[in-house]
Amino acid sequence: MTNSIAELENADCILVIGSNTTSSHPLIAMRIFRAKQKGARLIVADPRRIQLALMADLHVRHNLGTDVALINAMMHVIIKEGWHNQAFIDERTEGFEDLKKILDAYTPEKAAEITGVAADDIIRMAEYYAKAKAGSIVYCMGITQHTTGVDNVRTLANLSMITGHIGRESTGVNPLRGQNNVQGACDMGGLPNVYPAYQAVTDPDNKKKFESAWNAALSDKVGLTVSEMMSGLSHGPLKALYILGENPMVSDPDTAHVEKALKSAELLVVQDIFLTETARLAHVVLPGATFAEKDGTFSNTERRVMRVRKAIDPVGNAKADWEIIKEISNRFGYPMEYGTPEEIMKEISSVTPSYGGITYQRLDGEGLLWPCPTTDHPGTKFLHKDKFVRGKGLFYAVEFKPPAEVVDEEFPFWFTTGRVFAHYHTGTMTRNCPTLDSEIHEGFLEVNPGDAEGLGLRHGDAVNISSRRGLMTAKTMVTDRVTKGVVFMPFHFAESSANVLTNTVLDPVCKIPELKVCAVRLEKVA
Amino acid sequence: MSDKVKDKVKELLSSGKIKGFLGLCSRDGNIAPHLFVTEDELDNLVVGDKSAPGDSRYPLNRQLINLVRAYPDDTFGILVRGCDERGLAALASWNQINPNKIEMVGIACPQELAIACECLKPYPESFVDGEKCEGVTAETVARIDSLKVKERFDLWLNEFSKCIKCYGCRNICPMCFCNECSLENDELIRKGEIPPEIPTFHLTRAVHMAGRCIDCGLCSEACPADIPLRTLYKKVADIIYKQYNFRAGYDAGQKSPLNFLGGLPE
Amino acid sequence: MDYRTVLTTCTHCGCGCNFYLEVLDGKVIGTIPCKTSPTNEGKLCIKGWNVHEFIQSEKRLTQPLLRKDGELKEVSWDEALDFTAKRLREIKDTHGADSIGFLTSARVTNEENYLLQKFCRAAIGTNNVDHCARL
Repeated sequence: MTNSIAELENADCILVIGSNTTSSHPLIAMRIFRAKQKGARLIVADPRRIQLALMADLHVRHNLGTDVALINAMMHVIIKEGWHNQAFIDERTEGFEDLKKILDAYTPEKAAEITGVAADDIIRMAEYYAKAKAGSIVYCMGITQHTTGVDNVRTLANLSMITGHIGRESTGVNPLRGQNNVQGACDMGGLPNVYPAYQAVTDPDNKKKFESAWNAALSDKVGLTVSEMMSGLSHGPLKALYILGENPMVSDPDTAHVEKALKSAELLVVQDIFLTETARLAHVVLPGATFAEKDGTFSNTERRVMRVRKAIDPVGNAKADWEIIKEISNRFGYPMEYGTPEEIMKEISSVTPSYGGITYQRLDGEGLLWPCPTTDHPGTKFLHKDKFVRGKGLFYAVEFKPPAEVVDEEFPFWFTTGRVFAHYHTGTMTRNCPTLDSEIHEGFLEVNPGDAEGLGLRHGDAVNISSRRGLMTAKTMVTDRVTKGVVFMPFHFAESSANVLTNTVLDPVCKIPELKVCAVRLEKVA
Repeated sequence: MSDKVKDKVKELLSSGKIKGFLGLCSRDGNIAPHLFVTEDELDNLVVGDKSAPGDSRYPLNRQLINLVRAYPDDTFGILVRGCDERGLAALASWNQINPNKIEMVGIACPQELAIACECLKPYPESFVDGEKCEGVTAETVARIDSLKVKERFDLWLNEFSKCIKCYGCRNICPMCFCNECSLENDELIRKGEIPPEIPTFHLTRAVHMAGRCIDCGLCSEACPADIPLRTLYKKVADIIYKQYNFRAGYDAGQKSPLNFLGGLPE
Repeated sequence: MDYRTVLTTCTHCGCGCNFYLEVLDGKVIGTIPCKTSPTNEGKLCIKGWNVHEFIQSEKRLTQPLLRKDGELKEVSWDEALDFTAKRLREIKDTHGADSIGFLTSARVTNEENYLLQKFCRAAIGTNNVDHCARL
């Protein structure tokens, strides 16, 4: 997030797009409720009538995968009406003319044809957002999990920059990170192209720095992404996979493909707290510890680094994950001598500039928001205050591209996935919480009443859902939360896993799979 | 105002009268609910004022129930304000705690807090610190009562539509001790949807608070949607008062007119 | 009697809410939202309120498992760790460092993420490390 969570309360216009905030980030929804209470305008752009839509000033239900067309049309209107912030554009950005050129074609009327949103509504969206004093955008995986994920993100950045809605208190672009420590995993270099703090592995200076810090020879070759590792296992070059606390058998697209990949590994090591669908395929399973059984830190979606404190000893013979990694490294022949997680944090702050000022002692109280380069730095509430990281903000002229798979006669329904309020991700933890599992204990398919009638489906009926990847059965939930022609399924439930159906095709730049759109066929189970 | 509390707790601990004292302490840069078992921990004892009086109160009564269920033969001390004392009286009337095994250390709330809470009795019967201030009647209830029916209805519908069904109002409530909760009865309120059925979910809870709510306000403070639950339950409490001349917890030993589990009222 | 409240950070989404885990005699019995937390201000969602329930679930893995004759069997830590280190070594020596991949986790701590990518890069010698950021 460019801003801290609490700042959202004081935005006077919030555009929520591709985020079911009350389900997936409930304590961020709290800030949106409060902003609304204080008089902010709330615009929700979501194909589903999510809870936030109930209180929105404007809810638009655009067709799946048409975000670029929708946002481009907003910008078309903003420029046409002169609502853009020319001073900000001149001072802080470059590439505006190229963007402007392509926007000419995105009239609200044309966008209405693509998105299914009325031209008037697009004009209102543009007006609400552009005329705000502190406009904030909130988005989540509904924006990113597309073959055009990067395009979508760049388009939202364009929107914020043409209106100057960035780099100020309560004003910015706020992607909500889904996993509790996905921000930290990225910050710590859990990515194939960067060391901690996003220092590129291809940069010889970085390589040298880490070689000296870690006393080892390092590779300057960018590594494989998750999806590439899966195909690497299937096709040969990758022989071994070590998985720490992840469950690709449920979280990744096209489960059949993942299973084949994992089964072809010469060595599959899984370190987890439960015997997950993925762990069942492993050669060796190492029992790790939950957050309650160890010390450490998490970094939340607003970049706030916070303490995790040990409440109990690990159950049975389970071990804290850092101890397991240390033991393996020692046996492998690369000695690691950490007595506590705090010692590891000392090393992290010495090689990670944005965490340079972070110590356990300083994290007491409210934690610290990075960048926090030195021990006397107070942390950073919002980013891009006077300039962007690269200097000038760059506009990308992005054209609308349809999703990789579109509906046809054989697969006539649009299929999309997401979370429900009582569960988290693959359910490894939440489905083992009896209260949560009793709240929602099985997967389901949301079908519009009109479609249900056409298919002869009633609430609770079993329905077969098939895509080009696979076939599965789920219970029908008849609801107008989805529009005609669109169906939705949560992906937490291994026994009725939405990802049996989803498409593996990736965004060409960031390699995110298109989990939010594919085409399916529905049949009532006889 | 914590020095006099500290002295009192010190006395209770050193005399061996209590096994531990449930109160608040300053720890890890935050204000934490804490069980004090030794005198040397008392340096960090606080009464829960971070930025404003009483802004960091915790469900100590609820924690006490967990302790006395596990250790029924031991006596525990506990920090109480007016509302907490009412809570303990009500819990005793519902046979959830044994008042003879509890040592209350009371503090009176300042006027500022009493106003914020619209608390009728912002002090316990006896207290070691603070000064007795005026009780405050509920203007928030009067304000909503003055609305036209339609406006009143819309107001609550809007509030309830924000509910994310965290069950926090119930989870934090010192008076919610049932083993089975109607809010989780699938036949009454369909599970798995947010907002939960409007207005059934909230009215079901409001009905269950009748004759039970001791007006501590922890529910409102725990609500991620800022629903004015306390106002709703104040209204319910007013209705019970009008009908039965009863307010939960104000008169130790008096049973709720709706208290059937603990026997019929006298 | 050992009753403690331990301040920590939620593991059920990216909001990063703070709460006290209520621990009685080694058993985690409840979750109490932290009033002074900057993220959640004494409030939680349903996932946060119930986060304590999975910690001591009977289904937790409590002993390392090793596949023998096609089945996962309980083994000692020494056996499991030696096996893992030895096989990683053999595969690196036979097929090169880039034949090994690591998925680190958006659910473990920063310290653990740091350590695993360090092991991957410095000990194994490859940049094949990723996690489910995109999923």
